Amino acid sequence: MTKSEKFKLVENYIIENQNAHYRLAYSYVKNKESALDIIQDSILKALRSIDSLEQIGYLKTWFYRILINTSIDFIHKNKRMIVVEDEVLDFHLPSHEMDVPDIDLYEAIDHLTPRQKTLIILRFFEDMKIEDIAATLGVNQNTIKTRLYAALRKLRTNMEEKVKV
Amino acid sequence: MSKLHESKKQYDDIEIPTELQQVVSKSIQNAKKEQSRKMPSFKKFGIGFVAAAAIFIASVNINPALAQSLSTVPILGSIVQVISIQEITIDEDTYNADLKVPNVTGLTNKELENSLNEKYIAENKALYESFQKEMEAQKEVGGGHLGVVSTYEVVTDTDEILSISRYEANIVGSSSTTMRTDTIDKKNEVLITLPSLFKDDQGYIETISTYIKGEMTKQMAEDEMNMYWIASEEEIGFESIRPDQTFSITADHKLTISFDKYEVAPGYMGVITFEIPTDVIKDELISDYYIK
Repeated sequence: MTKSEKFKLVENYIIENQNAHYRLAYSYVKNKESALDIIQDSILKALRSIDSLEQIGYLKTWFYRILINTSIDFIHKNKRMIVVEDEVLDFHLPSHEMDVPDIDLYEAIDHLTPRQKTLIILRFFEDMKIEDIAATLGVNQNTIKTRLYAALRKLRTNMEEKVKV
Repeated sequence: MSKLHESKKQYDDIEIPTELQQVVSKSIQNAKKEQSRKMPSFKKFGIGFVAAAAIFIASVNINPALAQSLSTVPILGSIVQVISIQEITIDEDTYNADLKVPNVTGLTNKELENSLNEKYIAENKALYESFQKEMEAQKEVGGGHLGVVSTYEVVTDTDEILSISRYEANIVGSSSTTMRTDTIDKKNEVLITLPSLFKDDQGYIETISTYIKGEMTKQMAEDEMNMYWIASEEEIGFESIRPDQTFSITADHKLTISFDKYEVAPGYMGVITFEIPTDVIKDELISDYYIK
């Protein structure tokens, strides 16, 4: 495969899966502008380092790794000033909580660490196999399983605590 | 954790902003620009009228409604006509095929007429079969989006010349487009080939290729949105045209040379057509009968 053919394949993949990529980025930062920034950064990083993609079969895991790392970096860099959109802010205000008796699992996921969140999203929302998650994150499968159970356990605990409140 | 399914729905419902598409294509372009700074052959240029034509061609292919409306316009030459004989349509949720087969009638040279028509049918049959095969394969792995459009356009129809272009567009997320053109001398009823226009077999290839490379370089310098791949020592790209390169003759007797999407440039450039000034090739031409 020539470099231009490879570039074209990656280009197509990025265009074709932009919505899925956006959702993943958005679920880390919870606001549109930051998610778009992450998408932009990830595409640049990916196309810049296209040589690091050795086999086209790993295209998805390769791109997800870049996307996830970029997202987590973004959170770390902007830790003290995450832009919160009004509706999200409203959601967290006490008065609002009274109207929402249901414990929202989706919201509980936000309270996980970024790395735990990654596992839940990839496994349950993106329907990735354990082995693909392992390849994406560059960790072995058993570690992924252990971490995934830990994340699920934490989710459950968080929700039970909330129910008590 | 059955609630996870509800959460997945919320995840899937994350609103996709309208800006996303623009951000994505801009980022891709920026990455390309960066590359071009590193590699001399990955140059930039501007969308001239040629690229505009390419966009039009791409839109014909991508937009079935437009393709449809074009193909229903009756194209009547003096005697020789092109009509649609067959239309194949598949419309299954995410799988779409829309194939139109042109048919040439009215030539007295039946051998030429039949060979053209048989070729058109065979092209579309092959397209249909490969589409079906891909569709089955996609269904097996859980579905996907797949589309194929083939259509044709009469590019030139004068008393002397009939030129028919067929387009195939495969759409899998983004699309690839190929174009083939047949040019017929209506008076003498012969199929014109590119080599048949020139005195010797080699000279014209070099002359035209050099002209196109110069034009690519010029367009890239004019506008950084333009990008072509030109071969150099370290890069693969356009070297020279082939004897069976897609060509056409315009109504005002100019030669045009076309490249498929991705053949010599990134996808966003679409199908690319260069009009070759007659001055450039006049020494190579056999006569000024077709090209003036």
